[in-house]
Amino acid sequence: MVLASLRDVRFTYAYADRSALDGVTLELASGGLHGVVGLNASGKSTLCALLRGIIPHFHTGQLTGEVEVLGRPLLEWEPADLSRAVGCVFDNPFTQISGIRDTVFEEIALGLENLGTPRDEMIERIERVVEQIGLQAIVAKNPNDLSGGQRQKVAFASIIAMDADVMIIDEPTSQLDPEASEAVFQIIADLKARGKSIVLVEHKTDLLATYADTITVLSEGRVALTGPTRDVLSDPRILEFGVRPPDVTELAWRLADAGKPLGSTPITSAEAQAAVRQRLEKRAS
Amino acid sequence: MSTRPPLTTAGDYRRPVTLGNPILDLNPITMLLSITFVAVVAVAVDGWVAPVVVAAVFVLLAFLAGKGRTYLVLILKLWLVVGLLLFVLRALLIKGETVWIPLGPIAVTEEGVLDGLRFSTVVMAICGAVTLFFTLVPMRRFTLALERLGVSPRASYVVLASFQAITDLGTTARAVMDAQKARGIETEGNLLVRAKAFFPVLAPVFLSAMSATEERAIALDARAFNAHGPRTSLVLLPPTAAGERVVVVLCALLAAAAITGGVLGWF
Amino acid sequence: MASNGKFATLMRGYGRLTLFLIPIGVAINFVGGQIALLLKLPIYLDSIGTILVGAICGGLPGALVGLLSNAINSITSPPTFAFAVLNVAFGLLAGYFGRLGVFRSWWKTLLSSLGFAFIGGFFGALITIWVFGGLAVGGGAIVVGALTALGLDVNTANFVAQIPMDVLDKVPTVMIVYFIIKGISKRLLVKLPLGWVYLGQPNPNKPAPVADSAKA
Repeated sequence: MVLASLRDVRFTYAYADRSALDGVTLELASGGLHGVVGLNASGKSTLCALLRGIIPHFHTGQLTGEVEVLGRPLLEWEPADLSRAVGCVFDNPFTQISGIRDTVFEEIALGLENLGTPRDEMIERIERVVEQIGLQAIVAKNPNDLSGGQRQKVAFASIIAMDADVMIIDEPTSQLDPEASEAVFQIIADLKARGKSIVLVEHKTDLLATYADTITVLSEGRVALTGPTRDVLSDPRILEFGVRPPDVTELAWRLADAGKPLGSTPITSAEAQAAVRQRLEKRAS
Repeated sequence: MSTRPPLTTAGDYRRPVTLGNPILDLNPITMLLSITFVAVVAVAVDGWVAPVVVAAVFVLLAFLAGKGRTYLVLILKLWLVVGLLLFVLRALLIKGETVWIPLGPIAVTEEGVLDGLRFSTVVMAICGAVTLFFTLVPMRRFTLALERLGVSPRASYVVLASFQAITDLGTTARAVMDAQKARGIETEGNLLVRAKAFFPVLAPVFLSAMSATEERAIALDARAFNAHGPRTSLVLLPPTAAGERVVVVLCALLAAAAITGGVLGWF
Repeated sequence: MASNGKFATLMRGYGRLTLFLIPIGVAINFVGGQIALLLKLPIYLDSIGTILVGAICGGLPGALVGLLSNAINSITSPPTFAFAVLNVAFGLLAGYFGRLGVFRSWWKTLLSSLGFAFIGGFFGALITIWVFGGLAVGGGAIVVGALTALGLDVNTANFVAQIPMDVLDKVPTVMIVYFIIKGISKRLLVKLPLGWVYLGQPNPNKPAPVADSAKA
């Protein structure tokens, strides 16, 4: 099954000078974790908005090409059904809190209430997600008094609780420190393990290297590179599109430039360790 | 004293949410109807004694609900600022036969004082009713009760989000004003200087709040805000006891008696 | 539970953003008033949100902003509610003016202040007379009292005191609305019910004459 398939998609926001997406052709498989990287205004958020039906139902403009989500043409989806099938977490923690709930627990409940989830099941699901995200300490707090990072986690928890099959996650770690970012990636990996399809916009390639199945690099509204994570991240061309490779990959390239290449190009620190160890062993023997 | 118990465990949500006081736990609609009927008595019965008694009953209720101090502060402020002014203006300006204290072109007359007493106490009794209701019923509880009667959750959203927006926008505006002051933009001095400070402080704050509505709309849509099916509610209000209905009916009878009496001239 | 009541239908007709702009309008009314007070300005500036939302979303949403603002104010100051009808009328009038394109030009906007001031001053005075027998509370009460003491009758005193005060308040109010609308991005305007007015587009809700005759 295909999560999303785009053929020569162009989109220009109403009154914008240039297209936000400019001939995008892309196919994302179901059940995978798909990373999307690129500079600001490269079309990442527009792509997310498209997969969620926010384009063209909310943001108007000119849309051409073919878009299919979960095997159905985008325009044939009833907007409310699509928003139920595809969960969505955004980067701004301040606009994602409803502002109408007194506690974090009630905030997480909002989406489930709107879906008509029975009360007992609702409470169970919230308790589970509170534990999963580690929100026990703040469940009774007023969401409007939380810090940006805490709000981001609450927003994330609220969407996870709704249990959509597809999740679009736009820079979930922009407000978080490295430790918390790692924790969020653990949660995302866990979602994937439970069979969810995930599209993740994220600039931390170190983390994407470990968790993503495929990576798509966008540049000026076009697909610059796309493919399995290893192929894309170890391709030096990503630098041209303003994407920072994982630290270890960059290190390997430097070593290669200095005439001391590692046998393979690592993209995760585990791989780098293995490559270095191999090299040391070779030298010792 | 009767603040909401901390919800440290989710188990609290399996039971109706209690505010720890039998009056506070009354259904908001029961409360609304009872208070309205009692306020009707103040209007229907002539003279100033009935409104004063009604106002006193409201104070008593507030104390029984454990909110006495909060309510008293609010209502005393209203009596002093609004009630007193209404009384004094009428006492001074309404012309009558029986002059008590002549003051140049105006005079304090018996008619003026009686009219002032009646009018200010009635207005204060109504103020007391409104203030009492909102002291005893948190807005969220009120909207929940209304939703149960079939009011759209969108209407609840608009009301509750308004309160939050007032808080948020106020905080931002004051922060921007302090920042402007720190940057040397004058916010004090003559009228023109102060008036000039108004726009640059507020326009950017208002504009960014308006553009944030886009993201807010999308974020709430992601929470199935626009779903069509039936909804459920996490927070459960206590069931309306039979006793509550009796209270409402008694208050309604009292109001009816007061109106009938007023029309037939019993008082 | 009926989640698709009249209110929901109304809001869907008005576009999704209107629902989210109403609370912002209410907050603008309050914060405008608070900051005016903080800067010790002699005017209220507490209907900017009502007129703004009316001008960009239409008369009914504007009226709702007005109604809600007065309702929230009356929680702590109940007599305010008697004047809610004024704030509702500001919203309706702003919607009407908005549709006509009044807020697209500064001088038309400036002139529109007379309309708002007339509602605020004239009808404000009428309410004061009807509901409070001409002796309401607030900034004008003392002036009215003084004028009465000078021999003016209570009703005349109300009109004399309130109309000029409202003109003073509404001139800056509508000008602020004008400049805020100028600052709204096109991206946002596209999503507002009356956005077409400010984008210089034809009314999308008005069917073209050809389509009209085809229907008939």
